Amino acid sequence: MSDAGTVHPIRVTINGEAYERTVESRQLLVHFIRDTLALKGTHIGCDTGNCGACTIIVNGKLIKSCMMLAVQADGAEVETVESLAEDGELNPIQKAFHAEHGLQCGYCTPGLLMSATYLLRNNPNPSEEEILRGIRGNICRCTGYVNVVRAVQVAAGAEPTAGAASREEAAR
Amino acid sequence: MLLESVEYVRPATVEEALEALRSTEGAAPLAGGQSLVNVLKNRVAAVELLVDISALEELRTIDADGGALEIGACVTYDELDRSPDVRAAHPMLADVAGHIEDQQIRNRGTIGGNCCLSDPTNNLPPLLIALGATMNVEGAAGLRQVPADEFFKGYFMTAVEPGEILRSISIPALPGDAGVGYNTLAVAYDAKAIVRAAAMIQGNGEIADARVVLAVVGPVPIRHAGMEEALRGAPATAETADQAAEAIGDDIEPMSDTHGSAEYRRQVARVVARRAVTEAIARGGESQ
Amino acid sequence: MSAEAVRRRAGSRPERDPEAMSAATRAETVTAPSETTEELGRWSGKSVRRTEDGRLLKGQGKFADDHWVHRQGFAQFVRSPHAHAKIVSIDTSKAMSLDGVFTVLTGEEAKEMCEVPFFQIAPEPGGKLQEWPLAVDKVRYHGDAVAVVLAETRELARDAAELVEVEYEPLEAIVDGVAAAESGAPVLHEEIGSNVAWQGTYDYGDIDWALENADHVVKIDRLHFHRFSSTPLECNAAVVDWDPGTGVVEVFSNNQMPMFGSMVIGPTLGVPSNKLIFSSQDIGGAFGIKIGSYPQLAALALLSKKAGRPAKWAESRSEHMLSAGHGNERSFVDIEVPVQSDGTILGFKVKAFDNAGAYLHYEPLGAVIWSQVTPGCYRMKHIRVDFTQTLTNKCPTIPNRGYSRLQHLWMIERIVDIVAQELDFDPVELRRRNYVQPEDYPYETPNRCVYDSGDLPRSLELALEAIDAPKWLERQRELGTGSGKRIGIGIGSTLDSGTNNFGQARIVNPELPFSGNGEAAYVKLDLYGEVNVNIGTTPQGQSHETTAAQVVADILNMDHGDVNVTAGFDQRHNTYVAFSGTYASQFAVTGLGAVMGAARKLRDEIITLAAYALEADEDEIVLENGACHVRDDPERAIPFIGLANMALSNNAVLTPELRERISLNCRYVYTPPFDVPDAETKTGNITLTYASQIHAAVVEIDEETGKLEILDYVAVDDCGRVINPQIVEGQVHGATALGIGAALYEAFDYDPSGQLQQSSFYEYHALTAPDMPMIKYADIESPSPFTPNGAKGMGEGGGAPLSTICSAIQDALGDRDAVVSDSHNPWWRIHELLRSGENGGPRGVEVSSR
Repeated sequence: MSDAGTVHPIRVTINGEAYERTVESRQLLVHFIRDTLALKGTHIGCDTGNCGACTIIVNGKLIKSCMMLAVQADGAEVETVESLAEDGELNPIQKAFHAEHGLQCGYCTPGLLMSATYLLRNNPNPSEEEILRGIRGNICRCTGYVNVVRAVQVAAGAEPTAGAASREEAAR
Repeated sequence: MLLESVEYVRPATVEEALEALRSTEGAAPLAGGQSLVNVLKNRVAAVELLVDISALEELRTIDADGGALEIGACVTYDELDRSPDVRAAHPMLADVAGHIEDQQIRNRGTIGGNCCLSDPTNNLPPLLIALGATMNVEGAAGLRQVPADEFFKGYFMTAVEPGEILRSISIPALPGDAGVGYNTLAVAYDAKAIVRAAAMIQGNGEIADARVVLAVVGPVPIRHAGMEEALRGAPATAETADQAAEAIGDDIEPMSDTHGSAEYRRQVARVVARRAVTEAIARGGESQ
Repeated sequence: MSAEAVRRRAGSRPERDPEAMSAATRAETVTAPSETTEELGRWSGKSVRRTEDGRLLKGQGKFADDHWVHRQGFAQFVRSPHAHAKIVSIDTSKAMSLDGVFTVLTGEEAKEMCEVPFFQIAPEPGGKLQEWPLAVDKVRYHGDAVAVVLAETRELARDAAELVEVEYEPLEAIVDGVAAAESGAPVLHEEIGSNVAWQGTYDYGDIDWALENADHVVKIDRLHFHRFSSTPLECNAAVVDWDPGTGVVEVFSNNQMPMFGSMVIGPTLGVPSNKLIFSSQDIGGAFGIKIGSYPQLAALALLSKKAGRPAKWAESRSEHMLSAGHGNERSFVDIEVPVQSDGTILGFKVKAFDNAGAYLHYEPLGAVIWSQVTPGCYRMKHIRVDFTQTLTNKCPTIPNRGYSRLQHLWMIERIVDIVAQELDFDPVELRRRNYVQPEDYPYETPNRCVYDSGDLPRSLELALEAIDAPKWLERQRELGTGSGKRIGIGIGSTLDSGTNNFGQARIVNPELPFSGNGEAAYVKLDLYGEVNVNIGTTPQGQSHETTAAQVVADILNMDHGDVNVTAGFDQRHNTYVAFSGTYASQFAVTGLGAVMGAARKLRDEIITLAAYALEADEDEIVLENGACHVRDDPERAIPFIGLANMALSNNAVLTPELRERISLNCRYVYTPPFDVPDAETKTGNITLTYASQIHAAVVEIDEETGKLEILDYVAVDDCGRVINPQIVEGQVHGATALGIGAALYEAFDYDPSGQLQQSSFYEYHALTAPDMPMIKYADIESPSPFTPNGAKGMGEGGGAPLSTICSAIQDALGDRDAVVSDSHNPWWRIHELLRSGENGGPRGVEVSSR
């Protein structure tokens, strides 16, 4: 058993890099990531585990980092949005969001990208319904989700759901 | 939303966990945290020590035995959804768990946490009561078994006493001639429940036994004796379900809130109960 | 300004031919048009992918809470648990005694530090209202801020805030916006003497004559438009630093209308505009709500001044829901609608009560802004609106997507559906008959607004085709009774009026020295020949970096990827005017108008300089891909870097005239062609453009529970020339989602004592992906004859989904006993509507026929 206390040393690997820090028991994982480690791609939108802006992957599982204490991540492997681009190049999911205009203000985007990543890892060919269910935990107030769903479809190599009368090819 | 200062400990065994829980009055077990962390953020509970039981392997097992299941309290909703054993023995449990809120919550939230919070809108309690589950509660005095329909005591209150934890949940095998139904009217897709019902109906052609559980019509899920009575001995048909649902009336005292008045909930409870029973009858028929 | 005047003015611009434009109005295109791209250039009209995406997709955006500064403290507001109470005392000693607490600022102290209360838009008596950065003497809503703490960490600040002891003496609360106007209601602001913030009558045509002479008069007792908010996913946040040495107050925040904020808080803080510096980079959604953070920003400035260190603040979601501002709630009472037997709706008469909450934030502008769309999409001529805005013990309202117009447009759409139901008209036919017709544009409304262009009947036709209306009508008939299901088809017709004439403020307060509108932009050729652009706007997802680059690239005939648009707004280096910001559906006109003007100036300078350098005539110079050459002689060329060198670092090679004329640093302020409206008659052109939204939905209702499912949904949009179709479509999706969410799920309710019932996304269900139908989209392009590029402002939408869903519910009810009279229809309310007949409740509609 670890020692009971209000502060604890923890060791956590984030995006392949190991960090050792001492944290207060009460510190939320999202605040550890944002405030302590200054990895600011993970956002906060609701404080109550509803909006999913703080979604990350911990030990292979998609979770909301505002619903977990930093001390609970001791020993964990964490993936955040900063892990997605490869050598500064957008990965296929990010490219699909870009191509399909799956983001506007970009605040919910890191969380949605992590949800899409997890979904496609576990289900490479999701149906439209599976995509909707897969991103249910991420609130987006700008896109109405339509282009987000299309982006995930494109990332999965599928045809995006039609509906638009104008679907011009990308100029670039 | 920031927590009050709190102590935290991660025990290595259930025994250590119980010891820690007994060590101070303000100790609380932390499982998936999908409700408790919010409670702590709201600073409404006086918790001084969090005992993190989420990683205890002893609490994370699913044992299947000829259709019966024993599920550790820290098994997550997602694990219930994806477990071949759960799907085989109690597919409804897997389905219901797979529709709790969202993927992130399903990856952390646990069956034990869903029960121990005793939030009347929670998904699993009415189903576990309908399935005749037994809650295995462990404390200093050892293990005691509490039937699911005696486990929920009130808003945010259960049969788990201070110093105890819910260790596992035993669900008996579904009788061969039984079917299970579950129906929810929610605010939106997989969102907060306005009214819920779960039913297990047993019998070939004629209903031998019926368990009908209503939720969000009071502080805890309730078995509706009147409806069960009306079902027993009647032909297993949709018409029976329809008539039996009429038994739900002024005997329930649902809450009123922005999602519906008591009267609306009462009327809809009839609908939701009938649908759950109809589904149970249909599924029972299919399994014959 | 009359329609004629507008036409003349539009025609006076040399590059636009009004005749050609009005012909183009009718040349509709359902798909993204290629012919417009020829007119506008290589990039405009194309779905160019967004420049902003790179950083946002990598988690490298810089949002307000991402900004940290040296020595900062964390701020936490102390907020009232009461809706209405006297502040008896505030004891900060326990909070101050906590280790790591820098300071606590109370309302009384804050007032002492201020020069004047916040500026009020309202005339007297409403204008007597005194608001300070924190509540003084009294709290007026659940969530009103009474003090603010600054401490070393976020957690500690919250700990300390809980130790601030405030003694309250509760007072009776008033939450109903209609009852608040009655004498005897508890008064919020004693200095006003009542709760009436503003009252006035808008009277156009002759409604009394129309009501007397119409074949039918339909009377509707009451319609209610509910409170909700677009709840941007990023809450308010800021770092405010009052530098004791220079007196400069730096505000890094996500406020979306910093110049308005600056004009309100500057005089209060006693800080001149050269010392009040707003900046922001990425803003996580705003939708109007983030206009309203200025009281907190003022409080944070004072907190920083008192503590002598920067104050960092990140609002929590519950704090946001309690106090960041809600959309306007409006009750429409005693509606009377004169209708002719042929279906012509002559107009309407209504008493509107707008519930502004506890303080006037941006209000009472909502009391006039609706009048941009006085007759909605219809040729109604006789309209009287008695408008009252009241103060109540609810959170102050703030502009929310579709601000003030969507309430009014929703009422009009309800009127049309109710008239159709009562008088047995087909709601589709009734709309067709009463719509402003394509040949009517530019159409002058009864209050002398000018609808610029559009084709509403064709839009409706497209919408009905997209949902295959005949199929659903057939299904509706087949279903009959006994199935337990009802099918409903609904239509919503709304307008998104863009580019405000701020002169409308004079209609609520003739003393206000406001009118017109504008935006500023710089386009420069910089040291190494780069084309650099900055604008006075504060986008929150509207893709200004991308679309500004498109239009500059078109004008300079280069690759849009080579045009650099500054990310974010910084008052130190972005150009701006008093109207700058991102709000009210206007960037495509004002922002791009400014960018185009500046780019053209730069193009002219480039041509002059290149002609000099290449010893050619100016009309021989061709711009192409970042260089200039002489027509038919591509070898005689000079790249932009060469021109930049001549003008910026080698200017002795120029003639004195050129040195005088050429800066390669071109600023342009776009100003729309507005006149000052007439405050007495409440008439005048108060908006430049009118984008239209015609939506149609098919819904299925479960009779037993009232639960509604959307089976099909289409949005047909017409916002004139489209600069980037994909971005426009995205805006339409978003506006549609927020409208559907509001119609079915999202509401802020207060109990009679003034307690807000929704303070998290548990209670306030923001619609999630599976709640949202994968909607269809079509568009028509009716170019605006009044704008530099034929584009219209868009993005807000007119709240069409609220109208559409209510219309579909009404259709599904198919029953005169039931009238959809509320904009928010959760399952229980639909359930109740389905039983209106058996409940025998008052349906609140009456028809009298001659």
